Amino acid sequence: MAEAPAILKVAVVGHTNTGKTSLLRTLTRDGFFGKVADSPGTTRHVEGSRLLAEGRPVLELFDTPGMEDGIALLEYLERLQQPGERLDGPARIQRFLDGPQAHGRFEQEARVLRKLLECDAALYVIDARDPVLGKHRDELAILAGCGRPLLPVLNFVRRPPHRAAEWREAMSRLGLHAQVEFDTVAPALDGEQQLYSKLGMLLDRHQRTLAALMADLAAQRQARREAAGRLVADMLIDIAALRLPVRSGEDERAAVESLRGQARRREQQCVDALLALYRFRHEDYAAEPLPLDGGRWGMDLFHPQALKDMGISLGKGMVAGAMAGATLDAFTAGLSLGTATLLGAAAGGLWQGADRLGQRVLGRIRGWRELTVDDAVLRLLALRQQALMHALERRGHAARDPMRPQPPADEALRKGPLPEALSEARSQPSWSTLSEHYADSPRREAVARALAERLLADPPDARAGADAR
Amino acid sequence: MPPAAAPDALAAHWLAETVRLREAHWGPLEDADAVRQALRHGGSFEDRVLARARVLGAREGLPATLRRWRHAALATLAVLGLAAVLAGAGAATAALGDGSRPTNVLWALGTLLGLHLLTLLLWLASFLLGSSEGSWLGQAWLWLTRRLARGPDAALAPQALTALLARNGSLRWLLGGISHAWWLIALLTALLTLLVVLSTRRYGFAWETTLLQPETFVSLAHVVGWLPAHFGFPVPDAATVRASDGMHALPPGARAAWSGWLIGALVIYGVAPRLLAWLFCASRARRGLRRLRIDPSLPGHANLRERLAPSVERLGIDAPDDQAYTPRLAGAGHAVAGSTAVLAGIELPADISWPPFSVAEGIHCPAVLDTREQRKALLDALSQHPPARLLLACDAGQTPDRGTLALIVELASLAGRTGIWLVRGASGPDRAQQWRERLAAAGLATAPVMTGTDDAARWLEHGDG
Repeated sequence: MAEAPAILKVAVVGHTNTGKTSLLRTLTRDGFFGKVADSPGTTRHVEGSRLLAEGRPVLELFDTPGMEDGIALLEYLERLQQPGERLDGPARIQRFLDGPQAHGRFEQEARVLRKLLECDAALYVIDARDPVLGKHRDELAILAGCGRPLLPVLNFVRRPPHRAAEWREAMSRLGLHAQVEFDTVAPALDGEQQLYSKLGMLLDRHQRTLAALMADLAAQRQARREAAGRLVADMLIDIAALRLPVRSGEDERAAVESLRGQARRREQQCVDALLALYRFRHEDYAAEPLPLDGGRWGMDLFHPQALKDMGISLGKGMVAGAMAGATLDAFTAGLSLGTATLLGAAAGGLWQGADRLGQRVLGRIRGWRELTVDDAVLRLLALRQQALMHALERRGHAARDPMRPQPPADEALRKGPLPEALSEARSQPSWSTLSEHYADSPRREAVARALAERLLADPPDARAGADAR
Repeated sequence: MPPAAAPDALAAHWLAETVRLREAHWGPLEDADAVRQALRHGGSFEDRVLARARVLGAREGLPATLRRWRHAALATLAVLGLAAVLAGAGAATAALGDGSRPTNVLWALGTLLGLHLLTLLLWLASFLLGSSEGSWLGQAWLWLTRRLARGPDAALAPQALTALLARNGSLRWLLGGISHAWWLIALLTALLTLLVVLSTRRYGFAWETTLLQPETFVSLAHVVGWLPAHFGFPVPDAATVRASDGMHALPPGARAAWSGWLIGALVIYGVAPRLLAWLFCASRARRGLRRLRIDPSLPGHANLRERLAPSVERLGIDAPDDQAYTPRLAGAGHAVAGSTAVLAGIELPADISWPPFSVAEGIHCPAVLDTREQRKALLDALSQHPPARLLLACDAGQTPDRGTLALIVELASLAGRTGIWLVRGASGPDRAQQWRERLAAAGLATAPVMTGTDDAARWLEHGDG
């Protein structure tokens, strides 16, 4: 086996208030790292975080305080050099670090430079909205003096107006030709990959480490996607299969309320799990008490307006009122199996639930009816969670405004026939984990898998819609 | 993989799946200690999930539940096996009858093989229909065990087992194997019974019909006997078949031929296919059990990833924060005679035109300060001719940093009065409040801070805001 690649150390440096801590938060998917605020000097020390690929540490990132006094420091550094003496960059920096000012006026800058000398490279974070000034050039001259490769990272490029072109030009004039755009709040889906591959070009020796890291990140991303799809699919099947019996003579309204309550709680459970999966906090989404009441996006699941907002046409039964979102059926599920299902059951699975089938037949004879959640509500749930998944994937951990996912343009889900998986779940009351007769079956597993894939398949128009905003 | 590893792996995965389902149904278990132990255990993410489940399961008493269920399942298997023996012996004796009258060969064949062939065909058809439920008998085994194993979490054990095996694809092979084993036992018992009874008692064989021709039976006996004949089983010849209409006395050779024919049919159409199917199912199930995996995308596992196999570790800070250096203006400027005024722009972006308004004659207005040299030039000029009023134009869109504030402080110390004009960054964020705070901290709390162009121009010319 080849020797284990060394851990790559990278310092994140830059002018004050350009989003260095934000970059670290987004790259480490850790929304609690350091302190972030729109003011200078928020970070006053060096703080590190380490990325692992397959359990092995591969990359150490160090957040540093902002450079604030570049012009004065460069002047001071030049004075440190005796006339007639030739000092190279790192030697000059070392002399500064050993001197008195490293603990005085330039204490913050000294911390940055000390860390940079220990690292293999630096990411120079730029707020692309700032103009290119002399102080930035002096700062870069000092940083370049450390003799480490610098990769300029243009932050805040997703929000015009910005001066990214101006910065690119200026960086090229300073000899920094490898540059990368990375918005810490709304990073591009392949933003991390771009950043690390550019870094790999500067660090030939560590290219293998970075390749391993990128492969691991891609695998993690895919795993997260699949897990998210499963969470939503399971939730939809649970709610689609949910049936509440209404015994003859019983008040329907109480049953409707119970049905709604169960559906709402199940959706909230799914939202919580999604947030945890993507390592976001409740505040990232729950600022408006979501998704159960209040607010626009947070509109109640059973409010007709919530359906209209998602562009779902209302069925004739779907009106505001006591029965909104629920459908009363004769007791037929399980008796109205499709032919294929029936044949399959005959070939194997009639044993399972045969006793329950008897109960159902009995219920039908007694004239019981049962409540199910409306198709329109299922569509709303599917669209809403799809939107949330979409938004979570594209959100940086530096973002501080709560998310407002846009409804995806999944016309098929909105208007077409209900996905097959959900229609099948409708006829299988025992598939709902909310039911006391819940029984897992291999078929449920297969259906959940298929539904998850359907939800993750991004129709092309959905992507276009997301980029347009 | 050593042979002993397969059952251990099954037990470990079964337990992990039980824990997963339990957490999915009744909410997460308190697992701080289990996670710590799993992290200490090391290995891949899958190993850690298994280790965590082992700790949690032991705490919750799940292995006992699983053991109970396993015992119940074995007991059910034993009962089913006994039933198979009884069914086989019963079928064989029923097929031959009591010997008081000749055995109807077709009925005997149907009794011995009918149900078996029907269920075998249905099992084969389940492949075509894509149903993965397994077989009736296998399901019956599960159902009976469920009835037998009661107690807390009893329902979880079979649920976890079926979910685990179904994901792995080996459930149908396991249930199919049980079903085929049942039939194999029943058919072998029938065969044994047939051999014993036919060896020790005398039976006559006959066909009966009201509707069909004798020739039909001749060809039927040949068709049925064709395959067994390849394996050395006798087939009654045409004359014997024609003679076996129940009206003629049969020679002893004919009885032997008929019983050989019946035994051959039972072996070749009964025992052999079931044996092959059982071997096939058993080998597939074995292979499946060796390939048990933790699926990291399952709800319940996905959320464990960051805790069991963290992708990020914090490294801590280099040193605690020090008192930050803040440039500070000593004193409040000094009196300067005259009414000279200077307008200076500090680090303004190039897209703000400079000067921004027509400056009255006599007011000095150097280029926007950006580089060290420009700073130095203005400082030199001011120290030679201190102005009475110094107006500094700053970009409110930028972040006020220490370097800029140090420059402002240095400039202000050279002038009589200093005013700050925050040029609205027409683009970008507005950080005017931060400027005010930082200016106040730098000792410029009394300096007028203006935001309007008119205010700034008036202050510059007349000294009032």
